[in-house]
This record gives sequence, C-alpha cells and structure tokens, in this order.
Amino acid sequence: MSIWNYVVTAHKPTSVTHSCVGNFTSPHELNLIIAKCTRIEIHLLTPQGLQPMLDVPIYGRIATLELFRPHGEAQDFLFIATERYKFCVLQWDAETSELITRAMGDVSDRIGRPTDHGQIGIIDPDCRLIGLHLYDGLFKVIPFDNKGQLKEAFNIRLEELQVLDIKFLYGCLRPTIVVLYQDNKDARHVKTYEVVLKDKDFVEGPWSQNNLDNGAALLIPVPPPLCGVLIIGEETIVYCSANAFKAIPTRPSITRAYGRVDADGSRYLLGDYCGLLHLLVITHEKEKVTGLKIELLGETSIASTIAYLDNAVVFVGSSYGDSQLIKLNSQPDAKGSYVEVIERYVNLGPIVDFCVVDLERQGQGQVVTCSGAYKDGSLRVVRNGIGINEQASVELQGIKGMWSLRTSTDDPFDTFLVVSFINETRILAMNLEDELEETEIEGFCSQVQTLFCHDAINNQLVQVTSSSVRLVSSTSRELKHEWTAPSGYSINVATANSMQVLLAAGGGHLVYLEIGDGLLTEAAHAQLEYDISCLDINPIGGNSSYSQLAAVGMWTDISVRIFSLPDLKLITKEHLGGEIIPRSVLLCAFEGISYLLCALGDGHLLNFLLNTNTGELTDRKKVSLGTQPITLRTFSSKNTTYVFAASDRPTVIYSSNKKMLYSNVNLKEVSHMCPFSSAAFPDSLAIAKEGELTIGTIDDIQKLHIRSIPLGEQARRICHQEQSRTFAFCSLKYNQSGTEESETHLIRLLDDQTFEFISTYQLDTFENGCSILSCSFSDDNNVYYCVGTAYVLPEENEPSKGRILVFIVEDGKFQLIAEKETKGAVYSLNAFNGKLLAAINQKIQLYKWMLRDDGTRELQSECGHHGHILALYVQTRGDFIVVGDLMKSISLLMYKHEEGAIEERARDYNANWMSAVEILDDDIYLGAENSFNLFTVRKNSEGATDEERGRLEVVGEYHLGEFINRFRHGSLVMRLPDSDVGQIPTIIFGTVNGVIGVIASLPHEQYVFFEKLQSNMRKVIKGVGGLSHEHWRSFSNEKKTVEARNFLDGDLIESFVDLSRSKMDEISKQMQVSVEELCKRVEELTRLH
Amino acid sequence: MEGSSSSSSSQPSDSNPTSNGASQFLSNLPSRGLFSSTVLSSNPGGMRVYVCVHDTSPPEGQQIKTNQQNILIRSLTLRNKKSESGSRDANGAGAAESSKKRAPERHPESRPTAKRSNSHSSSRQEGSTTQQAPIRDYQALTVERLRALLKAKGLSLKGKKDELISRLKGASGSA
Repeated sequence: MSIWNYVVTAHKPTSVTHSCVGNFTSPHELNLIIAKCTRIEIHLLTPQGLQPMLDVPIYGRIATLELFRPHGEAQDFLFIATERYKFCVLQWDAETSELITRAMGDVSDRIGRPTDHGQIGIIDPDCRLIGLHLYDGLFKVIPFDNKGQLKEAFNIRLEELQVLDIKFLYGCLRPTIVVLYQDNKDARHVKTYEVVLKDKDFVEGPWSQNNLDNGAALLIPVPPPLCGVLIIGEETIVYCSANAFKAIPTRPSITRAYGRVDADGSRYLLGDYCGLLHLLVITHEKEKVTGLKIELLGETSIASTIAYLDNAVVFVGSSYGDSQLIKLNSQPDAKGSYVEVIERYVNLGPIVDFCVVDLERQGQGQVVTCSGAYKDGSLRVVRNGIGINEQASVELQGIKGMWSLRTSTDDPFDTFLVVSFINETRILAMNLEDELEETEIEGFCSQVQTLFCHDAINNQLVQVTSSSVRLVSSTSRELKHEWTAPSGYSINVATANSMQVLLAAGGGHLVYLEIGDGLLTEAAHAQLEYDISCLDINPIGGNSSYSQLAAVGMWTDISVRIFSLPDLKLITKEHLGGEIIPRSVLLCAFEGISYLLCALGDGHLLNFLLNTNTGELTDRKKVSLGTQPITLRTFSSKNTTYVFAASDRPTVIYSSNKKMLYSNVNLKEVSHMCPFSSAAFPDSLAIAKEGELTIGTIDDIQKLHIRSIPLGEQARRICHQEQSRTFAFCSLKYNQSGTEESETHLIRLLDDQTFEFISTYQLDTFENGCSILSCSFSDDNNVYYCVGTAYVLPEENEPSKGRILVFIVEDGKFQLIAEKETKGAVYSLNAFNGKLLAAINQKIQLYKWMLRDDGTRELQSECGHHGHILALYVQTRGDFIVVGDLMKSISLLMYKHEEGAIEERARDYNANWMSAVEILDDDIYLGAENSFNLFTVRKNSEGATDEERGRLEVVGEYHLGEFINRFRHGSLVMRLPDSDVGQIPTIIFGTVNGVIGVIASLPHEQYVFFEKLQSNMRKVIKGVGGLSHEHWRSFSNEKKTVEARNFLDGDLIESFVDLSRSKMDEISKQMQVSVEELCKRVEELTRLH
Repeated sequence: MEGSSSSSSSQPSDSNPTSNGASQFLSNLPSRGLFSSTVLSSNPGGMRVYVCVHDTSPPEGQQIKTNQQNILIRSLTLRNKKSESGSRDANGAGAAESSKKRAPERHPESRPTAKRSNSHSSSRQEGSTTQQAPIRDYQALTVERLRALLKAKGLSLKGKKDELISRLKGASGSA
C-alpha cells in the first residue's frame, strides 16, 4: 500500500445517540430527528408509519441535538452542537427542501478543562437563551433577542465543578437552570440559578436540594402546570420544586434515557442500562403533585434515547443494540410485557472486533463483527450483495430458458412456469397444494426447444419455437393460430410482449408480428445485412403492453440498433467496438429514465441512456460483471424495477438517486432467471443454476447485506479458522439473578455455516479473554486457537496475571493442549515465524512451541522486549513488529534470528493514545487514536543518522470522527481482475458507532487527481450549518490541530455523482476534465466498497 | 385506595407485574392522529442523502462569537458598577441611568476603581441600608465588606457569612 490513502464509509454509523420530535419540515408535519454521531436523519410521521425523508451528513460529532421554536416562528429550528465546539441552528426551507443556516458559531474557549461527563446543551423553554456546559466551572450563554436572533455569547462562572446534568426549569419568570452536581465528598446535590442576562451572571435560584441519591445522574424538567424537576437516581426518584418534594424508591438501576409522554409532563418513559423500560407517573391533583409511581413495562434494546412519537408508538434509539420502534399496549402479553416491537433498525455498533472471511469462497470478503454490548451483543455477518431466500428447489439439468405465464390476462399471479431444454419444453404449474408439478398446455409444442413465451392480451399465450409462433388460449389451452416461418428459414431468436412479437430468422430476416384476438398478423419485415444475435421489445413508454421501439443486437458488425415499431424502420445504429458480440439486449426504465442495456459474450455490460422519442443512445458506460455471457431479464419487487443479469457472477442492476447500481447476488452461477410470482410464493424469482431450479425471494436491495446472530452476551474478540471451518470468540456474559450481578467469561466455538455454538470453554473467575488467534507452529501440522487472558482483580489497577491457552478443535470440541501463565494481560497475540508473539502489559514476548519428552507440547519463552506503557495492539510482517501503545503512539521492533532477540528500530515520538494499528507495507504503518484521528507513519531506513533512522516520520494525518477498534486487510467487494480498482489494496475498519469503512491506497497519479477534485468539491458542496469540511477533517487532539494530509475524504468525493448536472459542469470546468470522465473515475472508486 | 396503590408502586416493580400494574397508567396515551392505530408498515425505502450545494454561511450578524472579557474581571466590573449605581441611586435615579450606560465602557483593568469601591461602600452604608437592600446584595458582598458594614453599625463581627447577613438584615429591618 502507499501513503496516499482514500478513506470511505462502506456502512454508515448506525448507533443512535440523540433523538427529538417536533414540527421541523412544516408547521403541520411532525418529524422524528435522529442523530447517529456524524449524521442526522429526518423522518416524517405519517399514517403508514415512519417515513424516512433525509439523511444529512454533519461535519462534526454531534454532542447535542435539540428542537426549539423561537418567538414568532411557525415551525421548529434545530440546534446542533458538535464535540469540537461548533454549533449551528438549522431551519428547513420547505420550498427548496434545503436546510438553511440560521446561525452558527464557535463556542470553544482558549482555556478550560473539557467536562468529564460530556457536553451539555440546553435551550430555555421560553426561548430566551441557549445554555452550554462545555468546560468545568463555566456555563456559556447564547442569548436570543426579541426577534429570535442570537446574540454574542458569554461565559458565567459556575461554582460547581463536577456537574452531572443541567436543565432549564419551566415556568420561571427569569431563565432558571437546575444543576445536578457532585461535591468533593462525592455527595450529590441540586441547585438552581437564575440567569441575569443584563449582568451576564447568575443569581441564586428559588430552591436547592442537598444530599440526593449517590447515583443521581439525570434531571427531567417538568413542564407547566406542574413545573419543577425529576431527579433520577439509582435507587430513588425524586420530584422537586420550590414548594414540593416527593420521593419513591426504585429497584436499583441506572437510567440511561427518558422520553416525555404527555405534553403536561405527567408521564415519562425511562430506559435503563439493562434495557428495561419503565413508566414514571407524576400523580397530581390539579397543579399539586401528590406522588410518583413507577411501573415496569417490558424490555427493549438498551436505550440511549427515547422519543414518544404518537398513538402509543415510541422510538427507542440505542448505541448498544438495534434501535426499535415499539408500541405500548395497555394490556400485557403472555410474558407480562406491555412492549411490542414493531420494527428494528439494524445497528452494528459498537464494533469491538471483526474478522474478514470468504465463507462461500466467492472471492469476496465478508465481515463478521462482534457487535452490540451487554444483553444486546451479537455477531453480524456483513457482506456486499443480495441474498436469495430459497423457498423451493427441484433438480433439473440443462435448462435453456424459463418464462412464467398466467391463466388469464388479469390474474395477479403467475401459474405456469415454462422451462425449455435443448429438445423439449416442459411446463410446470402450481397445483392446489401449492406444489410445482408438471402439466401440459395442449396448444404448445413441447417436443422442441422454446425460444420465447409470453402472456398475450385477450387471455392468450404466445410460444415461439424455431419453426413457428403459436397463439394459444390460456383458458382452453388450445391452439388458436399459428404463424409459420417461411420454409428454409428457422427462427433463431425471438421476443414478445403482450401485443407484439419480434423474431429473427437466419439470413438477417427480422419479422414483426402483432397479436390480435385469435390472430397473429405479420405487420412488418426487414432484411438486415447481418445475422441477429439478440432482440428486445420490452415496453418502456407510456403503454405498458405495446412497445414503439425494438432493440436489436447484431453479429459481424457488433452493433446494437434501435428500430421503430410497427414500421420496423432503423432509427439508431450504435457500434459497440471490440470483437465480442452482444448476447442480450434489454430496454428498461429506472426512476423514469430509459436505458438500453446490452450484455456482451465476455461478461461485460454496456448501458446507454435511451431517448424514447428519437431512439438516440447517449452516455455509454461499460462495466464488467463476469466472464461468461450474460442474460438480462427485468423483474420487479416492491413496485420497483430491477434487472437480473444471469451469468457466472449473477448481478442485480437497479437505480438509486438516478445512479445505476450493481449488486452481486450471493449465488454462484445462474444461467437463467424469470420472475415467478405465484399465490404461494409472491414476488418470487425462478432461478436456474447448476442443475437445479430454485424458487426464492430476493432480500431487500441494499449494498451491504447484514445477517444478525443474537448472542445475548457480548463478543469481544473473534477469529476464524479455515481448517476446522469454525469461528472462535471471547465473550462476556452478564448474569443477573435478583439483585446480584455477575459476569462470566467464555470462549465459544461456532460453526461457520450454521453459526451454532458447538463448544464452550469457561474461563476462571475474574479471568477475561483479551485476544484470540488461529495459528500453527513450525514443526507441527495442527492448527490451534490461542487465547490470551487477564485476571482482572478488583483491587488491581493493571492486571498482573494472565494466561495463554492453546486449544485444538477435535470433533467440533475445544481440547486444551497447553497453557502458559503470564505476568500480565495478554492484550494481543500474533503468529510470528512459526512462533507465538504476545503483548503482555508493557512487554512484547515471543514463545516457542516445544515438544516435551513425553510428547506433549508447551509454550516456552524465547525472548522479549520491554519499553511500553501498555502494548495494546501488535501487527507483524516478516521480522518486523509494529506496536501500538496505550499512549506512546507507534513503535517498530525487529526480531533478530541470530541473536534470538527483539530490538526497537524506530518509534513515533508523538503521544498518541492508540486504538488500533495496521501495517500498510514494509515502510508505512497506519494508526488510529482515541481523539478519532487516523495517521500514517513511515520508517526512514535511508536516514543519515541513527537519530533519523530511529524516528517514524508522520506522513499522513486525518480526522475520521469515529473511534476505530480494529483494522483488517481485506475487501468487501469482489475484485474483478480487469477493473481499474482491482489492483488497489484496501483495509477495512470497524468503529464504535457501527461504521464499516475502507481505506484504499491509491497510486500517486490518482491521488493527485482526486485531491484536486476534493478541493473543488469543497467549494461546491457546503457543510450543513456552515461547518467547514477542512476544519472537520483536520487532525485534532488535545495537543495539536493540523490540516489533513495524504488522506482523502471518499464520502465527499463520491457525492460527486449525486450532484446536479450544472454543479458537475462547474466542477468539470474547474478541473478541466469532462463530466463523463469525472463520473467514470468516481464511480470506479465507489466500487471499492 | 391511594395507600394501597402507592405501596405497590413504592416497591421495586417485580419482573411479572400484576395484570393491572401499568395498564391503569397506559390508557389515553397521547395521539395527534398521525399514526394509524393499526400496526405500522415498515418503510425501509431509501433515504435521500442530503447534498448541500447552497451557501450555508449564516445571515449577517448570526456568526456567534463568545464575549472575550475575562469572567473575573467582568464580575469585578459588575460589582463595581453595582455599588456605584447604588451610591448614585441614593443621590438620584437619573445618575444611576448614566452610570449603567457608562459601566460597560469602563476599562476592565481599572483595578483602582475596584479598590475605591470598597472605601465607597463603607462610607455610604447609611444610604444602602435605607435602600432596604435585598438579601441578595448582601450575598454578593464579601465577608470583609459585610464585617465593615457591621462595624459601622457597631454590631458584632463574629460568625459565618450567613450569620453576618442575618445580623445585618436584622439591624436594617429594625432601623
């Protein structure tokens, strides 16, 4: 790989951090707005449910998200503050469908200690000011003037240093905050302050309350008429106001999120750390609070945010599991739960570890992640492409073609499946038991191969064979009319729709028939100079049963031609170039745009924009889908049109945002496909592959397909073993019996096909699994699983004892072969020169695999290297060892065979707190650190002095805005050897927010090109809320902020294809490169993920 | 009835709540008529990714910055202004108006004024006490200044700040 890297998101963040509900897009529309770390999603509440509207990238990590309504406005504004101290106020412009910046600014202070408990951003309910608590001891106020405009911000000194929560109180004459804080004796209190805008200062508020629950961490302000505040503790809940104080005990729990149900604030939903949902009720007589009640409703994902939507439907946003849409039923179900999950929104976060495997051996990587936390832990299999859910299959060899037919023209379902073989045609039909059985259509000729079949108008069916076209009644199944090819000519290819038939006979004869009631009429005939290889008359105009255009692919001159119908006049001729003949043509329309697709015999696909009036073909594009001839067919699923390209690498072609997309189907080789939507299997496809016929439905079309394997425990490290076809992972299970909580640490073995647990090894009490590896040793042919552990004792700051366990998988069970005690936590294990390299606390230790006299094996320490704070992440390449330290960035070690020693070669002297490292190539190493930055360092072997050689030079810096837990070499997409991106090496990363991303090393020429494109796109694509892209991507941690270099933002670059044509032209002019060329190059990059 | 229900709720709710446990509270959940009461269909339909190509800089004057005045200096100035306006108030309301206007313009580093204010306050305590200064004003004063006030009244100087304030309050109330 190289130092010129391109970073792009393959799977967007899915962990939900904030949500709010309000009239954002219109005064009459209610929206749910969800923050997913660096993106916000706007949804609309409609009678059909939640309708997604817009996915907005934000140039920052969202720290607070609030809706508010300034005086005199009819709809809500959105306030967003980012972790890097920027804020903006957004308004939706319904006319242009744009987000307008109403205000923005920088709220950072030069001096100040960032708060430990996260940033707090709140808005006065009467919209007099915005309050921010960003630094200990400071409260920042951004006041509004009477017109709802923001004024200069100022700081107020806040005496309380350890603030847990701040909220505005409702119904106060002067803006009043209530502060929940901890004093230096760790006792927690609340206090109120009035904000005096004139003096830019606080005055003591109306009340305070001392010595609350020691776990109190959340304040809920209660709206009028009750007013006051709820203080949620771990064992008590307190209602407090100037003149009332009510408390109730609760079952010990930590409340993570709340959602207000009623506008008058009498009911609240509370979500706790175990995913239990409670209802908190303030009982009151008129405006006097009489008490509190709390009731358990049921279980949800562990909530990070709760938003009551409407009509008992609640959105539960989670960062530990899938977010959910739930319904609160007034009567409990059989298990006593009032919660009914209506919908789940997939969340991969937090991705703690993952591995890249190719289970189907398709040449395409799949990512298996350790996702979720606590009870919501799961494994997720993420792969590119589309899955087919098999419903039924029959063994059938030698299928040459398939078509589905209906019993009558207005039947909504297909009944017959015509399957053509080299010298016969068989007809399958659904019988009354919903089984496929062979039947007959008397009027069809079944002793020969069928070239084409179609439903025709007036309850008729059409069959084309090499000698004739037969029109058959679909009710009586009798032949009604037959058109016979002139003697001496046989029909080679044919196509039809419900009113037209087009066929080609030898010698370049093209014949056009029209279908009447019981009659086939030869309407036109043309003699072409060459033979015809393929045809299509799929209707794409206004009339869905009659096409005005015919597409014809030709032998010899390798061209496609467009003819007008019914007169069969040539209107367009397009030479394809090359020597490969077109094997399948298809007229189709996606999102109202007409295309001509043309598949070649070598697996390439050409697509053209088609002008249906003039027949003109423009905007030619070529992609490679496979290596074998492709057959194209349309099908529709959920009212959307798709094209299935059957070949050795079956692909579904569809369009999104008017961009043609290609998605691999997770099947090996498909020769033919036809839609077959029967009453028993609606929306299904019939697929002919490898000697069998399968009926199946297609998964949701999306780029990444995610399969979830819920564990009910948290997987922390995972690896795959090819030889035993298993996964092994370290797992943490929380057991809760009554009020006692305990943890069990396990090593689990999983079958890589069924994902069933097949063996489990339980670790000792306090022993945590820290690392896992599948490896083999020199002089031993077996493959082992090695597990590194640590004894985490409550009284120790750093583990002082751990183990390395070596297992072999025998008969699907773990067998412990060897174990070795270590003097600390085994944070990392690597296979290294046929030995085992372990990172143990501050030491790197190499173990040999020794055969004892009695034939047993043991790990024997060979050599080691001290000199780290904590060696957390280790990667190796040849004799080189790259170590990511807790706080001392990256260092490079080398193993010396002769001396049997490990020595430090070089290090990066920055104080980066590492979260992952990877080796890009011999000289360049990649690191991720805990302020969400990426950087690369380079070994300087040619340095003149020892000092220079001993320093790893920082060559690339970038702010990703995501916390990376793991890098792995690999690719999510199939690498087509002939495509331009086939040679670009990539690394996959997984983050806490559920992002799967790709880092690709570009050749220098490409890097320079895209860097120029990026800087031009920055001028065109503006940051929402006026946030700057340059600032967002600048490397920034506590120590320094420097501009990004040698990294490109793929998310920005790839949005080029979503731009309007005029904006593309603008960029094209700046770049002095044609729009087509730009599109092509950007689209190539999109195929990296 | 109230006693029984409160006792049931004050106990940590069990894992299997009684059938009417939460039911009584789950009636009349608010509805704005947006969601139909039937089960909602899932609608995963593609979400449009927003590409922002218009100018996103905020309208004039809405690029918000933080007041750079040091908060300590500000509070000192504020106190100074307050005490001054207090003394002017004793003379006439008109003077207070002008001092308010001038106060923010005063250079924050004018330490001498802050010191001077101390002597001012001690020499004008009759004025301020007759003003019926609210408790808050006393709270804002330092213990030293409170003691100065007490001394001027000939009261005891002992005790905590709160005691000093209450003593001063008592004195002014009785005066």
